Amino acid sequence: MAELDYARIFDVLPSPFMILDANLVYVAANKAYVETTGRTLETLLGRQIFELFPNTGESGRRLKHSLETVVATGKPDTLAYLPYPIARADGDLEYRYWTAVHVPILNDAGEVEFVMQNTVDVSEFARIRAASTVPFATLSAEARLIERTREAEASNADFRRLFQQAPGFFAILSGPRHIFTFASDSYLRLVGGRLVLGRTVADALPEVVEQGFVDLLDRVYSEGYVHQAESARLMLARTPGREPEETYLDFSYHPIRDPSGEITGVFVQGTDRTEAVKAAQLQRLLIDELNHRVNNTMATVQSIASQTLRSTSDPVVARNAFQARIAALSKAHGMLSDRRWHTTEIGRLVRQELDAFDTNQVRYNGPMLMVNSKATIALAMLLHELASNAVRHGALSQPEGRLDVAWREDDADNLVLEWRERGGPAVTAPDKRGFGARLLDTIVSGELGGHLDLSYDPAGLIARLSIPPVGYIAQELTLG
Amino acid sequence: MAKFSGSRVFVVEDETLVLFNLEDILAELGCEVVSQAMRLEQALTLAQAANDVDVAILDVNIGGTTVFPVAEILAEKGIPLLFATGYGREGLPVEWQDQAVIVKPYSPSDVERALAPLLEAASQP
Repeated sequence: MAELDYARIFDVLPSPFMILDANLVYVAANKAYVETTGRTLETLLGRQIFELFPNTGESGRRLKHSLETVVATGKPDTLAYLPYPIARADGDLEYRYWTAVHVPILNDAGEVEFVMQNTVDVSEFARIRAASTVPFATLSAEARLIERTREAEASNADFRRLFQQAPGFFAILSGPRHIFTFASDSYLRLVGGRLVLGRTVADALPEVVEQGFVDLLDRVYSEGYVHQAESARLMLARTPGREPEETYLDFSYHPIRDPSGEITGVFVQGTDRTEAVKAAQLQRLLIDELNHRVNNTMATVQSIASQTLRSTSDPVVARNAFQARIAALSKAHGMLSDRRWHTTEIGRLVRQELDAFDTNQVRYNGPMLMVNSKATIALAMLLHELASNAVRHGALSQPEGRLDVAWREDDADNLVLEWRERGGPAVTAPDKRGFGARLLDTIVSGELGGHLDLSYDPAGLIARLSIPPVGYIAQELTLG
Repeated sequence: MAKFSGSRVFVVEDETLVLFNLEDILAELGCEVVSQAMRLEQALTLAQAANDVDVAILDVNIGGTTVFPVAEILAEKGIPLLFATGYGREGLPVEWQDQAVIVKPYSPSDVERALAPLLEAASQP
């Protein structure tokens, strides 16, 4: 059987152990103990415990009393819930709660030569218990937990795990400067995985200071009230190295009190509501936008009806013209819908209107050019009026008539489109401007800010339109 | 004689067909459209030059932007405003919530009802 190396076992024990001589001078300490104190083994050994960790308060007295009792009586003693501040390496004082078991080690003469201390850090457990709003049904087990270090340790681990993995976020802030002593996994995710433990809120989450959250914590800490907020908006750095993002939280701050009623910290709990709030906002926006679009389209349809009925007294003509105009509008909407209401290719718009005609009679060509949603609707209506005019009175009213449509982008990025009819009945300028001419002029000059040249050439109608980039090039994608 | 005979109206509307409808409605009510714009920069220029206007009818959303800069100029001049929008009153920002609104699509009688108090107020000494 291999010989056991007790020194090594002592060193690797998971909970903190240390051994003092009868004068309370350190003679040994394991890794876990050294880590908890934030010192090195070298700074501990050979020093008296109260010289190294002076504590003239109640906790210090209790600790001293317990150790001296063990030395004097040779019997073990347990200290439950010992609040003990520890100065960390960065100088900040951190308040922690311990359960300490002191066991005498006797020499052959039966005298106390050493005292061994095993401490269990029950800080989280103590604080959680102190956070009165947390519904713990197990508080009746408190007495036993206090007495039995191992049980306390086990429960502490259970509570820690419970909170660590809870879907809502939890954090425990200690002292007036709000030092993080606990943060659940979801809390850490919320703050982009930043290292918060042992740091103050202002230091760990600098962006929240300006937004008043530290002031709020100060008030909860000093005045002892519970602060609750629903869907509170804040800007929080959610991803390392990125700008703070809009975040919505349901959260509350609860004062944590020690057994004497003194506030020792703030318990933070809440839920990240960002996705739900944003989804609701987007839905609202989409519904508003849908209403807006439906209403605007209704206004256009209403106007088409009114203009069509006004232009003829023949109900059959009116009905056909109305249906054709609505169909042109509807097809333009369909094309826009295919491209998320952003742009349309002008070739598609022209083809949509002229595809039904014989290719010997109608020709069209031009480069691929994208036009924005507003120009799509406007040009669809314009092309429809030109085509239906050609069918009723122009080149397309006779088999020998010809229509050529060509478009291009000129040097100044204007969209230039030429509609040229020939071979139809002789053209004369009308006495008064009809609906078609009014529509063309208003769309090109007014709506799209361009220029229209309508020429009543006897050989055939020629329409030349030039639209500046601002009138047809899509701006960045918006819902509008 | 038409109801608002001789009233001078400033119109901003960015859609040709909707504009036609509004022009026809206004003509039937006896109004005269003295300034008419379909794009923002044109509307701003006309608003700065506007005088002797009894009422302005402003389409809220013009070419992906809003008409409010125009509304500010006209309101400074004391010209009564009537907003036309597909969003309804809720679509107006807080500072314009108290203004008269017609919701698209509007009928001739909607326009008439909305204009009446504005033109009556304007005709008071």
